[in-house]
Amino acid sequence: MTLLHDFAVRLAHSPLNSAVTARSWFVPEIQIVHIVAIAAVVIAAVVIALRALGLIDTDRPPHAVVRTWYRVILIAVAVLACTGFLLIASEPGRAPFRTVFWVKLGLIGTALTLTAAHGRVTNVFVSRTLALVALLVWIGVIFAGRWIAYAEGWPGAFS
Amino acid sequence: MSLEDIANSLAATPLAMEMTDSTWLFGAVESIHVVALTLVLGSIALVDLQLLGLVGRDRDTNVLIRALLPLTWSGFALAAITGTTMIFANPKGYFENFFFEAKIVLLLLAGVNVAVFHFLVHPRMTTGGGLAPRISGGVSLVLWLTIVSFGRWIGFTI
Repeated sequence: MTLLHDFAVRLAHSPLNSAVTARSWFVPEIQIVHIVAIAAVVIAAVVIALRALGLIDTDRPPHAVVRTWYRVILIAVAVLACTGFLLIASEPGRAPFRTVFWVKLGLIGTALTLTAAHGRVTNVFVSRTLALVALLVWIGVIFAGRWIAYAEGWPGAFS
Repeated sequence: MSLEDIANSLAATPLAMEMTDSTWLFGAVESIHVVALTLVLGSIALVDLQLLGLVGRDRDTNVLIRALLPLTWSGFALAAITGTTMIFANPKGYFENFFFEAKIVLLLLAGVNVAVFHFLVHPRMTTGGGLAPRISGGVSLVLWLTIVSFGRWIGFTI
């Protein structure tokens, strides 16, 4: 907790904080890039699920489809991590001191692991289950992300 | 009946009271709205990128559209329902908000673009692509990215 606290204080006094708060339109625009990247993740997860169900790209081997779209997910997650970090830098005492933020990170790790595992299985039932569960977990990530705005901060959270 | 009268009568409904009194209802509806818009934007953008010839050159556009269309429509229905519900939290604020008004106009334009594509462009489309599908895809992509941006801006300006 003190480690996190020190990190937040240092971030609050960093040039990055001054940069992202320099103009009032920076944060909304960063959020828009964040949302567009989320849409990229969701559609990638959807295409993987549709392929697993045999509804799209059936002329390509399932693993090739997973590989292509997993790469899209990883690129989008990199964009999300960068924009997410900038959003934290704009208000360091907020997200890191809310449980739902850490739940969100856990869910992202879970979804990525499920899709990585999906690329290795051959059983149709297992691959369908992994694809659909991964999609549901991503929807959970969206809920957790939006909930950062509404959740209570930890007692004694830095502000 | 003026827009202000409509706003006032919306604000007097039980749903409006519930949306303003509840600590979690607005956030929950908003979260569903975000899930819905990622489905709409994601599926439309993928078709647009294919129409522009930027992805899936070896894929039949009709197959893609057929697979994604139910998702686009259900996402849009969900976004429309949750979006309308959110208006009840502050009808006057929304109706007076520039980004909200502009978003509605852009949604209508996007509807026109879909109609033009569906009735004029798509029936004459060849597998080789062509200029008309590219224009449809480009216009759609710009419109939907702007719609999503303006939606986020409503939250900061209302």
